[in-house]
Amino acid sequence: MTIAATGLSAMRAGRTILYPTDVEIRPGERVGLVGASGSGKSTLGHALVDKLRAQGAHVAHVPQSPDEALDPLRSMAFHWREAERARTLAPDPARQQTLFNALHIEDGDLRKRPWGWSRGMQQRFVIAMALIGTPDLLVMDEPTSALDPVVAAGTIDLLDAHLADRDTALLLITHDLGLAARRVHRLMVMDDGKIVEDSPIKRLLMAPMTPAAKALCAHRNWLELPC
Amino acid sequence: MIQIFVSLVLRAVVVLTGTALATFALLWHAPGDPALAIAMARHNAIVPTEVIDLVRAEAGLDAGFFVAFQAWIAPLLMGDFGQSSVTGRDVWPEMVTAISYTVPLALAALFIGLAISVPLALLATRSPGSWVDRGAVALASIGVAIPAFWLGLLLILLFAVQLDWLPAMGARTSAHMILPALTLGLGVAASLTRILRSSILEARDQAFLPALRRRGVIHRDIERDHVAPHAAIPFVTVLGLELAFLLEGLVVVEVIFARPGLASFLVSAIEARDFPKVQVAVLVTAVVFVVVNLLIDLAFRTLDPRIGEHDA
Amino acid sequence: MLDVDQVSVRYSSTVTLRDVSLSLAPSRTLAVVGESGAGKSTLINAILGLVPCPTGHVTWDAKPVRKCRPALVMQEPRSAFNPRMSLRRSVKEPLRGRQLDEDRLARLCSGLEIAPDLLDRRPAEVSIGQAQRVGILRALIAAPPLVLFDEPLSALDAVTQKHTARLIAQMQREEGFAALIVTHDLGYAAAFAEEIAVLRAGRIEELTPARAFVDAPQTAYGRTLRDAAFALGAFERVA
Repeated sequence: MTIAATGLSAMRAGRTILYPTDVEIRPGERVGLVGASGSGKSTLGHALVDKLRAQGAHVAHVPQSPDEALDPLRSMAFHWREAERARTLAPDPARQQTLFNALHIEDGDLRKRPWGWSRGMQQRFVIAMALIGTPDLLVMDEPTSALDPVVAAGTIDLLDAHLADRDTALLLITHDLGLAARRVHRLMVMDDGKIVEDSPIKRLLMAPMTPAAKALCAHRNWLELPC
Repeated sequence: MIQIFVSLVLRAVVVLTGTALATFALLWHAPGDPALAIAMARHNAIVPTEVIDLVRAEAGLDAGFFVAFQAWIAPLLMGDFGQSSVTGRDVWPEMVTAISYTVPLALAALFIGLAISVPLALLATRSPGSWVDRGAVALASIGVAIPAFWLGLLLILLFAVQLDWLPAMGARTSAHMILPALTLGLGVAASLTRILRSSILEARDQAFLPALRRRGVIHRDIERDHVAPHAAIPFVTVLGLELAFLLEGLVVVEVIFARPGLASFLVSAIEARDFPKVQVAVLVTAVVFVVVNLLIDLAFRTLDPRIGEHDA
Repeated sequence: MLDVDQVSVRYSSTVTLRDVSLSLAPSRTLAVVGESGAGKSTLINAILGLVPCPTGHVTWDAKPVRKCRPALVMQEPRSAFNPRMSLRRSVKEPLRGRQLDEDRLARLCSGLEIAPDLLDRRPAEVSIGQAQRVGILRALIAAPPLVLFDEPLSALDAVTQKHTARLIAQMQREEGFAALIVTHDLGYAAAFAEEIAVLRAGRIEELTPARAFVDAPQTAYGRTLRDAAFALGAFERVA
């Protein structure tokens, strides 16, 4: 079943930060949402998740930093149980073990509070929590920018491997086209509160149409190296 | 944990030693001759110099500061609180009587404060900015601004003089406690309401709450499991500070309502320059403070384990 | 030139820098890369003399480094400014009361693509990218021979990062300062520095010319860093 939301929009302080936008994502599809800072991509991500939840779809959202996802006063076990309850699922040690193995956090002490874990482990825990019950769509907002590159690359690879044989679609929100380019099938480019371009990744990289997409393509890597 | 507890207790001992020295030094260096004051109080007349010298020797006042301090602190440590230098009677039984009047009053005031502030703050924060909220804030601001001596007199005028419902003076029956407890309790309620309201609003503004909502956690669970614990931390801090406010208010209230108690014990002892009495009263107050602070410190560490991470 | 000679720093019981030695000549760029907690910020603080270095020396032309008045560009552009002051006042601060050379200011502004009226605003009224360019302007205004950059691009988006990096390089060609860039972004380091120092647990693991590092890091940890940068799209192989 295709995931679709129409008429997403948002205002802040009397200014439109997201013009009416429709989003459609196929099962298992990997979509990138790329734009400069302030272009409204996080706002679109939030609006999409809230709308889809209201429509009864199972969507999960992973914020940029674990600080925006975990209560420092509550243990990891509490967060996990709470997330299961929110999906009206009974505790299932097997499910927990599978997800923890997939994201390499099986050694984490669940009795500890978030600050007892490293940030990389916290972020992986948040992703594992988002995957409880296999959501239809996983929205990741700048999943790597709060992490060190080595940890970030490892986390994305683990997530890639976990999603490979599942129907969960992925919406990757980032300012960095270089990061998105090798992970997604389709790319939506955002500029000033609107989606200005939406095309398969190969075509977009070969022939960007709009100024925003051209800038992103031109600056997607630091270096181009000969093979 | 044990390490933390020991370090807290050690800190308490240091504070108490300092308090003992400071009170003794203050009275020692206060203007006027304590021996003269004692002698006057004892004989109710102008006394000859020999009598004053006798009193001075008797109370150990002629031997110098540290000797007098040692002579005073040694029996205290053994649990002997000494005799009044005016009446010659044991201080401790009088002190116990005073405490037995003061503690119920303080507890009643605290109870009134909590019973008003908690529901009021919860009601106000249900819809911030609404007229209920504004009303609660206005009420609390007025409450904080009214001094206890004035509020006490107003309550006496209304309930004791005009309506003649409640007794105003003394402490014979439990009805005698209502007006003083109300005087103190309303002040406590006002400041607790303000702090609890802002703690709740601040706790609701935390960065991780939207993520919980998007995860599907229902409002009631968020309030109970995530907002309440965070709001409790500043609330407990202020609750501790309220104790200082209460002790201060007690002096005023016990005088206005002519109640016996710790405050009137202290005031009359100071007026009579009754060294042993003053020092014991101040020490007992200091102990109460230290113990309450200790309890709050421990409560903090339970509420938020991040606090004190780097201690010890 | 900057000479960091066997510097060690310890906070209470943890050692945060061990025997770090570096040197950096005018007009040259050295990038220090490493993960959080590797000691990158401590290195900057040690060079600026903000933490005591009980062992080792930090010198500029054989004199204590603070004599050369080094400048610092910070990570969070907006919070690096006093929010109550106009940007112009903040920019003048490194001059310490000396007369502002308006020609120099105009030249630096045009080099950093700062519109003249931008300086009359306050930090909250400009974009993060603009604020960071003004941060660079403030660092350069007193013509320091040494400029330290502490994660200068990490608050910016990908396109602005590359643009700002080019402006920094261009200013360096004109002004001739020595640039020490601390960053976790190996892509930036490889593209704009001549040498890369890999810092790990307070030690310099390797010190390699930038291009050589991308092709063949000398240590296993260096390879891990390079492969992660590839995986995150910092570099691309083209035919």
